[in-house]
This record gives sequence, structure tokens and C-alpha cells, in this order.
Amino acid sequence: MNTAILAPASVLVIWSLIMLFWMAGTRLPAAKKMGIDIGEKPGGRGPDFDAQVPDKVAWKSHNYTHLMEQPTLFYATVVILALADAGHGLNLYLAWAYAIIRIIHSIWQATVNMVNVRFLLFIASTICLLIMAINALWATLF
Amino acid sequence: MENSPMLQPMVALILWTMLIWLWMYVTRIPAMNKAKIDTANLVGGTGGNLDELLPPQVQWKAHNYNHLLTEPTLFYAICVVLIFSGQDFGLNVTIAWIYVGLRVLHSLIQVTVNRVLFRFAVFALSSLCIIALAIHAALAVFH
Repeated sequence: MNTAILAPASVLVIWSLIMLFWMAGTRLPAAKKMGIDIGEKPGGRGPDFDAQVPDKVAWKSHNYTHLMEQPTLFYATVVILALADAGHGLNLYLAWAYAIIRIIHSIWQATVNMVNVRFLLFIASTICLLIMAINALWATLF
Repeated sequence: MENSPMLQPMVALILWTMLIWLWMYVTRIPAMNKAKIDTANLVGGTGGNLDELLPPQVQWKAHNYNHLLTEPTLFYAICVVLIFSGQDFGLNVTIAWIYVGLRVLHSLIQVTVNRVLFRFAVFALSSLCIIALAIHAALAVFH
């Protein structure tokens, strides 16, 4: 099995964990600054928090959540392509493009976050995934 | 290498999710224009914020898109486990296709009539498929 296509998936996993640290690294100081005691009461969740902290802090968390959504399809598609021996050529380039565009999308959402640009980045990455998924269909159908 | 038959239901559900993604935008973008949301200057926020601004029928598409990125992630993982443990044939493939069929039905209910009782019944049935596949996977890998 050619495993080259697993590399961009690994990159995106690591990037998601970097976003986790970025989120925690901004959220915890923000909580402290606002006098929120996270040990005070049980049951709170991230989104409860996002409403209270400054937008820029919440944006990191929005993106971390975003990375736990559509990329799950990306990982499944990458595994399918690898198992079907279709993880090379165009599919490999698309997988790298998806991972890289998602990283740019993250940085954008976590910093500037103009929605029109964010939307275009999301569309561009989704088109990569869509083509990969259609190729996965051809690779597995016959 | 002959492809595993388990890959087909996986791909089918991925493509279905992308179709719901498209359905979401086809309804959301006109609704945002109609609601006079100034997208050119919009900063921050998430899709969830639109729940307060757009008609529920429009957001139902987004709810289902999000829904398709929750439990099905387990489905993909279990399918891969079944492939690697050599259990990717017969009944397991049938159950995987039933799961995909039920999730498509669940989507159609949620994005149109969205009666919670029906939605719940179909979701519960589809979850039984996940449980069955997970038990088969457990028997294969712990045996």
C-alpha cells in the first residue's frame, strides 16, 4: 500500500492539536483576567465560555471546533484512497492542498476573521475534498 | 488488490454529506441576502449564530450537515477496523449499507419536515447499526 497520502492527514492532525494549544493558551489567561474561576462550578463547556471572553479568544475555539467537523470526512476519504491504492497523483496533491488550505483557514479565523475570505477558503478546501470523494467513489465502485 | 466492499458505503455517506453541504449553501446564501446580512463587512461569528437570524427551515440543513459530522465519524472508524480485521464481508457490509440508507432518510427528514419523533426513530435505528458493527469489530479484535 502506498502511504504517501497519509502524510497530509498527519499534518492536519498535528495542526489541529496546535490549534488546541493555541485555544488553551489564549483562553486560560483570558479567564484569569476576567476573574472566571474554572474550578468554581462543574459542567461548563467551551461554548459557555466563548460568550464571555473577547472575540479574538473565542475565534481560536471556533476554529478548533471547525477542525473537528469536515476534516473527519477528509481522514475517512484519505484512508479509503490509501486502501483502494488511489492515494497518488492528483489525489495526493488534493490532499496536500486540503491540509494547507485548512491551515490558512485556521490562521485566518483565529486572527483577522473577515467572513468573506474565510468562506472562500472553506469553499476552496471543500472543493478539494469533493473531488477526492468522487475519485474515491470511482476507485471503489468497480 | 481487490477493493474491500466496505469502502463503498463509506464513500456513499461521504458524498451524501457533501450533498447536504451543498444544500446548506444553496438555501443559506439566498436567505442571508434576504435577511440583509452585510457579508462584505462581517467579522467573526460561526454558522451557529445564524440560528437567530435565518428561518429554521434554512438552518435545518446546517443542523443536519453538523449531525453528519458527529456519529458517522465512528462509522468510518469502525468500517476501517472491520477491513483491517478481515470482517468486511457479508452481514457487516449489509449493515453498513443499512446505516447509510437510514442516515440518508434521517437527513431528508431533518431538512424537510423535521418532525422530531420520526427523526429520533430513524436516528435510534441507525445507531443500532453502529452498535452491531462495533460488537462485530470487538469480537474480531479481542477474540
